[in-house]
Amino acid sequence: MNSFIAEPTSLVDLSSRTTLDDYSEISASIGLRKISRTVEETPHEQLGNITRATATAVITNPWLGTGTGHELAERTEAIAPLLAKLLSDRLLDALGGAGNIEAFGKAALVGLDGEIEHAGALIHTPFFGNLLREALGGTSILCFVDGRATAGETLRIPLWHKTAAATRTHYQSLELFLPDAPQAGEIAVIAAASTGPRPHARIGDRTTDRQVTSEILKGIAL
Amino acid sequence: MNYRKLVTIIDETVTEGGRPVEPVARVVIVAAVIDNPWAGEGFVEDLNPGIDKVASAVGELLAPRVIEALGAPLEAYGKAAIVGLDGEIEHGSALIHTLKFGNHFRDAANATTLLPAVEKRGPAGVQFDIPLKHFTDATIRSHHQSVEVKIADAPHPDEILIALAGATRGRPQERLAPLSTEQ
Repeated sequence: MNSFIAEPTSLVDLSSRTTLDDYSEISASIGLRKISRTVEETPHEQLGNITRATATAVITNPWLGTGTGHELAERTEAIAPLLAKLLSDRLLDALGGAGNIEAFGKAALVGLDGEIEHAGALIHTPFFGNLLREALGGTSILCFVDGRATAGETLRIPLWHKTAAATRTHYQSLELFLPDAPQAGEIAVIAAASTGPRPHARIGDRTTDRQVTSEILKGIAL
Repeated sequence: MNYRKLVTIIDETVTEGGRPVEPVARVVIVAAVIDNPWAGEGFVEDLNPGIDKVASAVGELLAPRVIEALGAPLEAYGKAAIVGLDGEIEHGSALIHTLKFGNHFRDAANATTLLPAVEKRGPAGVQFDIPLKHFTDATIRSHHQSVEVKIADAPHPDEILIALAGATRGRPQERLAPLSTEQ
């Protein structure tokens, strides 16, 4: 199934390259099976549209058949930056640039023949996260969901504010349905972003909260 | 045209069966979640006033978005109406099985054939498959294909989800003999 994956033969400069419509050689080198985007627009009276998007790449698990002692860094450093570029390009295209993006998140699902650590290796290192954060113009740590699953999963990808993670208005999740991925030997890697907060956020913030401890249990009015 | 949400899905298949797909197979789905125009009215005998109010406007909303997101000439297409649990399947059919809806897509895509369709009723988050066929000749076997869609919170019981789907080519590794070889 995945026998065509090429051995690396040369260095490529992706820094100035838009990969939106031309990624055949890249796809062969990382075993890219499919790449998809979802864009959800919710009309909002005050904010105009709130647009939320996901970008997903489904690739061959580069560590299939290796054991739990296998070193993951080499392939992570080659593949994760490429995925960050592919996915952030698509989010920027869908949402009209980093200036429009307010919240972000990420996800990875590994198929049943892989380890959960394989999913983590592609999203939980600077080789993915730093590039995605830079491309989307953020400074916050990226919130995430990861797991091992069979094809057909519906994910709930958490998002929070890209420069102020504790901003409560921007705590939100985005649903994503992956009909035929990940197959047992694959990993699905996802980046997600929103142009705004929850549609009608009104549960205060850290700056407006009063002091709450378990003392409050003594006086709950029901 | 008022809608609660509008969802665009762009799916590109780069590899299938272990081999590269050239050109890449791109499928686009654009779905609008709208109020069921007959919600709360009981059994409505004459659906035409509701059709006149909504069908053309939904087609006009969705069709250009499919063409734009495809970014290449359309070769196959299809449509869907998913009715929330309080409605009739007939309500969904009413909105998509009319030239007032489909002609927007046919005109935008320079297409001539009838659009294959799925109509069903289900809860929010119901999964459905949209069938697609060739845009000028529905007997062209290479272009028979389906796409799977699921929108987590739609349709609500009093809503209808209306979708159009388009593809830039036939199936990723299509290699079946044409229909004519069996006739």
